[in-house]
Amino acid sequence: MSAPVSPGLRSGSLPLLVALMTLLAGLSLAGLTGVQTLAEGWAGAARNATTIEIPSDTPQLEDRTRALIQTLHKTPDITTVRELSPQQVQTLLAPWLGQVSDSGHLPGLSLPVVLIVAHTGTPDLGRVVHEALPEAVVEEDRRWGERLNGLGSSLVACAWLAVSLIAAIAVLSVGMTVRRSVMAQRKAVEIVHFLGAGDVTISSRIAGRAALLSLAGGLAGLFFLSPVITMLARKLAPFSHDAGPAALPATTWQTMLASWWNTLHVLPRLLLEELGALPLIAACLGWLTAQTVVLVWLRRLP
Amino acid sequence: MIRLLNVSMMPPGVGQPVLRNLTLTVAQGEFRWLLGPSGAGKSSLLRLLTLETRPSAGQMDLLGMSVSQASRATLRNLRRRIGFVPQDYRLIGEWTVFDNVALPLRLRGASERDTRREAFAVLEWLDVAHLADKRPGTLSGGEQQRAAIARALIGRPEILLADEPTNALEDAQARRLLATFQELVDMGTTVIVATHNEALVREAPAASIVLQDGTLAGADTQDGIAARRSDRA
Repeated sequence: MSAPVSPGLRSGSLPLLVALMTLLAGLSLAGLTGVQTLAEGWAGAARNATTIEIPSDTPQLEDRTRALIQTLHKTPDITTVRELSPQQVQTLLAPWLGQVSDSGHLPGLSLPVVLIVAHTGTPDLGRVVHEALPEAVVEEDRRWGERLNGLGSSLVACAWLAVSLIAAIAVLSVGMTVRRSVMAQRKAVEIVHFLGAGDVTISSRIAGRAALLSLAGGLAGLFFLSPVITMLARKLAPFSHDAGPAALPATTWQTMLASWWNTLHVLPRLLLEELGALPLIAACLGWLTAQTVVLVWLRRLP
Repeated sequence: MIRLLNVSMMPPGVGQPVLRNLTLTVAQGEFRWLLGPSGAGKSSLLRLLTLETRPSAGQMDLLGMSVSQASRATLRNLRRRIGFVPQDYRLIGEWTVFDNVALPLRLRGASERDTRREAFAVLEWLDVAHLADKRPGTLSGGEQQRAAIARALIGRPEILLADEPTNALEDAQARRLLATFQELVDMGTTVIVATHNEALVREAPAASIVLQDGTLAGADTQDGIAARRSDRA
């Protein structure tokens, strides 16, 4: 240990505070990543898909539908055209119509033909479809996509706000803890100051200790965050396109660790890097905050 | 050298100055007693001279530098050239006696080997080397005072200020301390010692600064010294 030239930081509560803040920040970052992934998925899916409904009372329905599908296949930028089966249409409409095994049991109701068109770029599908089949209704998913994109952006902004708020609360907490510590050691700080210690000498020792305690708190927070994130990742794994290896049943420590390691593969690499950086960010924030608080406090001494 | 010209000091929140229009000069390598009844302003003058506060009016120069408009860096460097033995010792309770005593040298960037050597030399001279690893709170008043004296002496300061430095010492230790102060004066250190101990002043006649109600009531003087010498005789 280096020779003391200034009082250190007295605070048993700082690591606990930082651990809690790290836990919250980690959860917010995980939420942020989830929302970002969803928003990107929504935007991508909605941008590149269009739904075409052909009413069931359209004359020569089957022939004209086939003709439309052929026309669509020939249209540039269209990648796939898929006709939903009556069962798929029923499933799609189940929230509105209820579970019906046969549309014929609902008098006066017949299901439309539904085409899902995947495309790149922005082909003028409305014109192409209406030239071939004026009765068809073109549902541009892009409009919904724009709304969903807006919703996604709002959620991302909220998540960033939460992360920023947590960082601000962490800075405030560290600042108040450091200030309390300096006040508790006021006499010792004054003695050192009046013996000729420089402001930075005094603040650096306190800030160094604050950084160390914050790093310890950050690591502890990360340790407690790990099972929570793993559990959430397991819950969300079925929704992931890149689900990775299946989780193993947790019976022994080894299988539990293997299961945990497999689950980590589900998490995006960027999120893992961000979570890994949290203790270092906590240490940097602790150091900067302590430096600022002590230097400002020392200005009152002549 | 210490030079005060019409210096006044009014602490914040106090309606009237505790020091008024002080003008005095103490040459480098001079010893002065600082005398006066309780409340006369001795401690306030020492606070000014240790740069714990700045004068609210007047001009104060220490070691050739003006204090009134000095930057923080200048004040910091001046403080490292001043030794102070406070009446309340002001030792850091969480540190050992050795760390307290070594602090002025460490602040000057001295090597740890030199710091240890000098700290133990001065602690041995004051008969407290065996207490080096103890914390101040476990020591008697006299031992704490000697630790505070050791911290003031270790840097061989150019100005040494002491506030009642002998009040917890035995007579023999007090005499020895005075002899040390005299040695420092001989080496060019300016020494100012505030005391109520008239016997000590009679024993070591020297020029004095006498304060009364925050003003300079007397500063002498070869006559005063001679008078005290004749009293002693």
